Amino acid sequence: MRDVLVRLSDVAVQKFGAEYAEVRAQRLSKTMLTVKEDRVEAAKQGIEDGVALRVLVNGTWGFASVGSLETEVLTSAISDACRMAKAASSRLKTPIKLADARTVEDRVQVKSKKNPSEICMEDKIGTALAVNKAILGFDKRVKSCTLDYLDLTGTSYFVNSEGTRIEQDKLYVWSRVTASAVSKGVFTFSREEIGSTAGYEVFDTETPERIGEKVAKLAVEQLKAKSPKGGVFPVVLGSNVVGVFVHEAFGHLAEADLALSGGVLANNLGKKIASDVVTFYDDGTINGAFGSFKYDDEGVPAQKTLLIKDGVVAGLMHNRETAAKFNAAPTGNARAEDFRVEPIIRMRNTFMAPKDHSLEELIEGVREGYYFKSFRGGQANIDGTFQVGIQEAYEIVHGEIGAPVRNASISGNTLETLFKVDAAGKDFTLWPGRCGKGQTVFICDGGPHIRVKEVTVGGSA
Amino acid sequence: MAALEKNAMQNLAEKTVKAALAKGAAEAEAYVYEGQATSVGIERGQITKSNRIIDRGLGIRVSVNKAIGFAYTNIVDSQSAVEKAVANALSAARASKPDPAWKGLPEKKPYAIAEKTFDRRIIELRPEDLVNTAAAMLDAAAHADKRVFPVEGGAGAGYVANAIANSNGVAGFDKSAVVECSLAAVAKEGNKVTPVCFEFNAERSCNVDAAWVGAEAARLAVSALKTERIETKTTKLILTQFALQDLLYHTLINAVKADNVQRGQSAFKDRIGTQVASEKVTIYDDGLFPAGLRTAAFDGEGTPQQKTLLVEKGILRNFLYDNYAAKKEGRESTGNASRAGYLSTPSIETTNFHILPGGTAAEELLGEVDDGLLIYYLQGAHSSNPVSGEFSVVATPAWKIRKGEIVHCSRGVMLAGNIFEVLKNVSAVADNERKMGPLIAPWMLVENVKVIGK
Repeated sequence: MRDVLVRLSDVAVQKFGAEYAEVRAQRLSKTMLTVKEDRVEAAKQGIEDGVALRVLVNGTWGFASVGSLETEVLTSAISDACRMAKAASSRLKTPIKLADARTVEDRVQVKSKKNPSEICMEDKIGTALAVNKAILGFDKRVKSCTLDYLDLTGTSYFVNSEGTRIEQDKLYVWSRVTASAVSKGVFTFSREEIGSTAGYEVFDTETPERIGEKVAKLAVEQLKAKSPKGGVFPVVLGSNVVGVFVHEAFGHLAEADLALSGGVLANNLGKKIASDVVTFYDDGTINGAFGSFKYDDEGVPAQKTLLIKDGVVAGLMHNRETAAKFNAAPTGNARAEDFRVEPIIRMRNTFMAPKDHSLEELIEGVREGYYFKSFRGGQANIDGTFQVGIQEAYEIVHGEIGAPVRNASISGNTLETLFKVDAAGKDFTLWPGRCGKGQTVFICDGGPHIRVKEVTVGGSA
Repeated sequence: MAALEKNAMQNLAEKTVKAALAKGAAEAEAYVYEGQATSVGIERGQITKSNRIIDRGLGIRVSVNKAIGFAYTNIVDSQSAVEKAVANALSAARASKPDPAWKGLPEKKPYAIAEKTFDRRIIELRPEDLVNTAAAMLDAAAHADKRVFPVEGGAGAGYVANAIANSNGVAGFDKSAVVECSLAAVAKEGNKVTPVCFEFNAERSCNVDAAWVGAEAARLAVSALKTERIETKTTKLILTQFALQDLLYHTLINAVKADNVQRGQSAFKDRIGTQVASEKVTIYDDGLFPAGLRTAAFDGEGTPQQKTLLVEKGILRNFLYDNYAAKKEGRESTGNASRAGYLSTPSIETTNFHILPGGTAAEELLGEVDDGLLIYYLQGAHSSNPVSGEFSVVATPAWKIRKGEIVHCSRGVMLAGNIFEVLKNVSAVADNERKMGPLIAPWMLVENVKVIGK
């Protein structure tokens, strides 16, 4: 395999005059399940083998992807990639350059206690059915639930024209569980995700009963909740909401490609943009975490990247192209979902560092506001506007947690909001999830509980 | 790599069904997919890349004792890979749990012709042609205003073909092509950067208006420069297609899927024949809309696509069915089984969700609004409650309408409410329908929506 890939990269440079060439190949197997209530909709097994070829010709990228490992097909694809780059370069003003990266030769093997490829389909189905049984058995007002399960195992290969040769095992185990409850015309909805790069053993701690109870309880508790008042309020955010805030509201702005596109961080490097309690990292090296890997899809080692230190912007997340533009070092954030797409700058495990408060202390500081414990979804714009939809929420009245509220969301401007973070907890949790930026990748985000002096709360009451 | 021929795809599908039956499947279905796409990409004001993707594969669904197994492979030119996939589908079914409600794969039915979905000129486009399209967008944006900065975008041409066969004698082949261009731009003035404003044009015939896309993205970005705060109040909104697509996909479209209704996950359960929207609202799911972006002869399980009346002058008339949900109720599928190429089993999805246009010109609709907001892009629609229809989203940005004129834009404006209330409060529908993904819709004027200013 490796020799074939190396030859392709040689062809791009020698025959077509490419300044740079890289070839990524994958051999992957997937197992998927969709289980609705007690019905297994389908048990699924897939094989995806393919190659992505990317070249830089005249300072322009050419990219070709084919679902084949045949030498003949690949040879024609590399010529396609080079010709297309040439065609696209006709109107180029600023040629693309790449920052230097150390040449690597490595073979990365995954050692998991329970490799999902060695767990039989019956057991996976059994686990899924047990989750749904726990959900439906929790309360008769829970009417439906859906479990999606995916595991992915295999090997990826990376070679480039600079001499890097990497063979890296891949292993992901993921599940998303949703439930809905109905009572007296009120419909509620809850969700939870599980994800690991360690192995199927994730279900030993996150047992079906535990997952099921968690999701069911979330749906049921919202039934008695009321709509929040819209307006500007002080809030305490749970670690789960802090995670999505760090990821969506700040993280995307710290992706160097978006920063260059007019994002608010490009001109703020080294400047204070947040209160002193704010320290953020994006870390690809946490063992077993859903966003971890050893090398990114440009062959650059993953690292722990400091983004904000005590409120001051310390760095951005780079690929080799943006690193060259910023005169910085690549940070190992170039990721491609699969062989069909080119690598782009993506987050890994993104989080806020914990501080010293207890949850009680954080809540005590709020006279009238909300405790937003977990999220349903989040999104941000490069102008710094963010929105996070809330799943589990409570009022805070005179420093104490009060009645539950449902269907709230928060919004604000990231930079304004970061200055309003006035205290952070000593707790810390990382939450697995998926992030979409045209392509989907697996990530984690998290942090401690925090208190924010004011944020806009969207509510219909 | 040349695209697979019609005969090759159909033969592969039929041969695979036979192989699965021979290995012990009670029923079998094979879906063969071929996708080829060429594109050029814009990043930060210039064309920086060109991509070519060839993706093909085979998905096999089998039943054994009413248990369903599915497998796919993207290696279709190797006999052993196909045999492995057949074996994987069977082993998955044998490991799975029988479903007493399973009443078999679809039966054979005649197909209508999908009109205007394939224009050969699209697949003949070269990267150089797409460079010209992308350049025309960039030129139009630059010409519109110096403060405009194109963030990203591109132009692309795609070809998709699929063949299906099952053990009930269903056999079909269909192909389509699409050409598109898009531009996302911001406007910059001093330290001020607007939210990203986006325009695009996607067509089934080889004719996209790149200059319009560039100019329109630029116009929207520049118009977002002048900002003022607005107060929290209940007001009128004009929802453009961008806003409708975001809001409806996560709420209304969920509510009309028969599986959600059957599972108690739809607010429309037991509501057929009742008023669910204003009488201004009529909606079809039209799988045969000429040149529609989701138009095809048959759906993901080989059932003919059709035109289904969903909401007639506000009255709920029908739901969207695939074969499984239809047979559960002893009815016919509406041809709404959708698949992600060869990678997934079918699931219920809208084809072209067509909200019928009204008689009011867009400018006239705008002119009628004394005080309200014009909404394009939303953030956070995916965090709506998909069952209850409650949403709480941010407009990025909202344009303020005063006395029929757009006077400024406003950032961070939140909109909150329930989509089913919104539908009841539609007071006028414009005549400016356009295609956007699965949506074909005009602008809609909605009364009494809660907006939270800053």
